[in-house]
Amino acid sequence: MFLISEFVVLLGANLILTQALGLSTLFIAAGSRKNLLWTALTISVFTTLGSFGACLINGLLPDKLYDIRLLLYILVIGAIYVILLTVLYFSDRKKFGTTRKYVHVSAFNCAVMGTLFTVSEKSADNMGAYVLAGAEAGIGFILAAFILTAAYRRLCSKEVPASFRGFPAMLVYLGIISMAVYALL
Amino acid sequence: MNNRCSILDGFITGNAVLSGFMVISPIIVCGNTIMNSLALIYAFSAITFLSVTIGSFIPKKLSFGFKTIIHAVIASLVYIPVKMAAEEFFPGVIERIGIYFMLVAVNSIIVVQSQTKFHNMTKGKMTVSLICHILGFDVVMLVISAVRELLAYGTFCGRIVDADMFISGLGMPFGGFILLGLACGLYRSIVPSVKNDDIAGGGSNVSDF
Amino acid sequence: MQNKIKSQRFIWIDIMLTLLALVTMEYFYYGARTLALSGICVSVSFVAEIISLRLMKRKFTADDLTCISDSLILCLMLPAVMDYTIASIACVFAVVVAKNIFGGRKNMIFSPTAAAYVFLLTSWKSQVLMFSEPHVHTGIFENAEHLVSSASHGFNTSGRMNYTDFEILMGNVSGPAGAVSILLLAVAAVILILRRDISFGAFAGTVIGTAFLAFFVPVCNNQWDSLKYTFSTNMVLFAAIYIISDRRIAPKRNYYAFFYGFFIATFSYILVITTGKENVIVILSVLFAPVSLGFRNLENQIDTLVKEEKDAEDLWEAIKSGEFEIPEAEEVLTDE
Repeated sequence: MFLISEFVVLLGANLILTQALGLSTLFIAAGSRKNLLWTALTISVFTTLGSFGACLINGLLPDKLYDIRLLLYILVIGAIYVILLTVLYFSDRKKFGTTRKYVHVSAFNCAVMGTLFTVSEKSADNMGAYVLAGAEAGIGFILAAFILTAAYRRLCSKEVPASFRGFPAMLVYLGIISMAVYALL
Repeated sequence: MNNRCSILDGFITGNAVLSGFMVISPIIVCGNTIMNSLALIYAFSAITFLSVTIGSFIPKKLSFGFKTIIHAVIASLVYIPVKMAAEEFFPGVIERIGIYFMLVAVNSIIVVQSQTKFHNMTKGKMTVSLICHILGFDVVMLVISAVRELLAYGTFCGRIVDADMFISGLGMPFGGFILLGLACGLYRSIVPSVKNDDIAGGGSNVSDF
Repeated sequence: MQNKIKSQRFIWIDIMLTLLALVTMEYFYYGARTLALSGICVSVSFVAEIISLRLMKRKFTADDLTCISDSLILCLMLPAVMDYTIASIACVFAVVVAKNIFGGRKNMIFSPTAAAYVFLLTSWKSQVLMFSEPHVHTGIFENAEHLVSSASHGFNTSGRMNYTDFEILMGNVSGPAGAVSILLLAVAAVILILRRDISFGAFAGTVIGTAFLAFFVPVCNNQWDSLKYTFSTNMVLFAAIYIISDRRIAPKRNYYAFFYGFFIATFSYILVITTGKENVIVILSVLFAPVSLGFRNLENQIDTLVKEEKDAEDLWEAIKSGEFEIPEAEEVLTDE
């Protein structure tokens, strides 16, 4: 019972379904299951590690300098971006050409930045809460990715009117799922 | 004529929202009243124009990754004075919009499209094309928010309109999803040069990076 | 193909007959207002279907009359005194947004009725969940007076129902008239299952899942009371028949459909006892649409693999029996 309630809470806090963050990235990667899965995993890495950085910044930054929080978050994400690309390059140079695109797409997108701001607004007290919130956001993105993958073929099939085939139908589909989530909360 | 068309296509045929599916989140979540949309339009227009213009002076020889970071840093620096001005012109709206005011600073046009599209043009063409793309977003944002405010709350620009029926769901994010999806479908059926078979929309794909 | 078309129309006829029985019961309790509401829902759905099919450049066929059954199902889930405009908007939403935008009856993703009901719940919650008492007849053009919460609301908050078993069976309780006539619903379920008009696997999964939890995690002190009240409230039986077991939505194989229904029932029961929300099963049927789609994708993959294996076996048999000659390599090269 606890798991089901937690699942509902996870849905309620889902970045895509309730805050519409990361939609463009989700649609770009929706072309193939492999792209979708790897993009979702990469975003999860960014949200988790980024939340770690956000915790450090929020701890050190005084309230007067609130406006430069965006700049500092971008620098943190930029650092993770460079480190991740470096690690991928030295771990497998042959596949670097394929894997780097997931990092490029995932780095500076609304899902990652939105997670950092959302986590900060929740005023979490300790590092563990920040990282957990970041990981939850990543898992929520993966969940939304699975929800979209299940219907992807049908949303792009020839039965769908040409004007709505693809992205417009995906928007309406996610909208109806989001509506159901709101009805539950 | 073809050159003029390709520069102006950011407004209609290559609309950033309806065709490119970029910068969707602010429209869906915050675009439920005209006042919110005006604040977001101001933020988006100012930050995007200034960031892309300043970013056009970055040397092209740098790698994609470094240029992306520099563009994002420029946008975050431009954000600070824009936000200060917004607090003067739109008091109270910034709190309602919340994180989306900041997220506009890392939109796809600044982070990705500036490198893949705008900075490959001459300065003059880039300026016109950028303005068209920004106007394209602004118009969509305004129209969607006007419709949502009217149907969901029965007001227009904060003033009560004589309406009997309210569909409060349209003011919620899921209402934004559905309405935007319908608007995109309508746009595709009206604008003939938008390819309906182009499932990726906007031409972007993971393999483009 | 002709047999398939014929059976779809008979399915629709059978479902319409059961729905008309429920509408008759509703008329008995709430008067002519229910007929007016049903008529408006049906008309609006019909017109919306014709217009949207025209825009999609498709012909309106007899199979598209499912819009009428969908609108009647929606009407039976609403209060008899529902505002006509709101009900009409919901019907248009069901036909256009929840069905035809995705390709119509050939490419169903959501149950149109469930999606429209959830749309109503999120936009007009108070109007959807307040009902007039049974035997209170409101005029066709009158506004409703003295509305009450449904029996489901009372059960969710207190764990008890202050009605006799006879009243529960006959639907003489406050709530959506179509969803509380338990005896009629039970008869409808038996008829539709025997005539294979609804998915037996999904229905069995929903019923068994609900019964299992209602018995072993009872809401009341008495397990049998818990079982009885769980099935007669929150549209469980109604949704099990007309929404979850809808053949257009549920997985085709009974094995997968069972688990689809079971998961929905389990989640629904737990959410009812933890949150007290009314009619959660309808909301979850929308939320579990991706699960059904996942099962159907799996079924398609299995069917494709089975077909390929069968084709390979047939080809091998043909080669063994000499019916099929493998061309010589030289001949192939020459052709190229």
